[in-house]
Amino acid sequence: MTRRTSFFALPLGLIALGLVSVPAALAQSGAVASAMTAGTVGEQADGYLGLAGSVGADVRSEVEAINIKRRAAYTDLAAKRGVTVADVAAATGCQTLANRVKAGQVYRIGTGAWQTKGAAPIALPSYCATAN
Amino acid sequence: MTQYHANRREDRRKRFLARRAGGLALSLGMLPLLGGCITVKAPDKPIEINLNVKVQQEVVVRLQKDAQDLIKNNPELFPQ
Repeated sequence: MTRRTSFFALPLGLIALGLVSVPAALAQSGAVASAMTAGTVGEQADGYLGLAGSVGADVRSEVEAINIKRRAAYTDLAAKRGVTVADVAAATGCQTLANRVKAGQVYRIGTGAWQTKGAAPIALPSYCATAN
Repeated sequence: MTQYHANRREDRRKRFLARRAGGLALSLGMLPLLGGCITVKAPDKPIEINLNVKVQQEVVVRLQKDAQDLIKNNPELFPQ
């Protein structure tokens, strides 16, 4: 019930603020999700999305936009906790790799090659320790 | 050469041989000790203890709950 409420409340809130139109918002997030399913966009251990293959201009610009917003969110939290933005980003990267990347999707740790997640959990960087 | 001289020379020879044998025995006895010696070589690079990794790990671990909340509260930034 709460999930349904927030699902509708978010786009409606954004429309009310005049920030974005519904079709654009749905199309964009859908495009990135599709690219993630296709393996051309993936999560990175550094806490940001990366391009693993060739993508259209719409996907590229949306990935960039998401990363800018992520950095803003990381910066806020870093200031609150008195840590670096990179630390917050790395902690979030641990979470996305541990809990959000689905089997068949791609991910990257450091500057390594893109890898496809299999059935097993991703071998996380040591600094993630007990990311659950 | 008198008997006295002959005896003295014989004594000296015996003592010399005994000393040499003792020295040899001592040398042979020390061989295993030499074999057991540990060679300590000074490192050619300065010894460096990296504490940064540990510090970063503690910070990142402490932030896991915050990161979970951040993802949950910003679903539009974390498409799947």
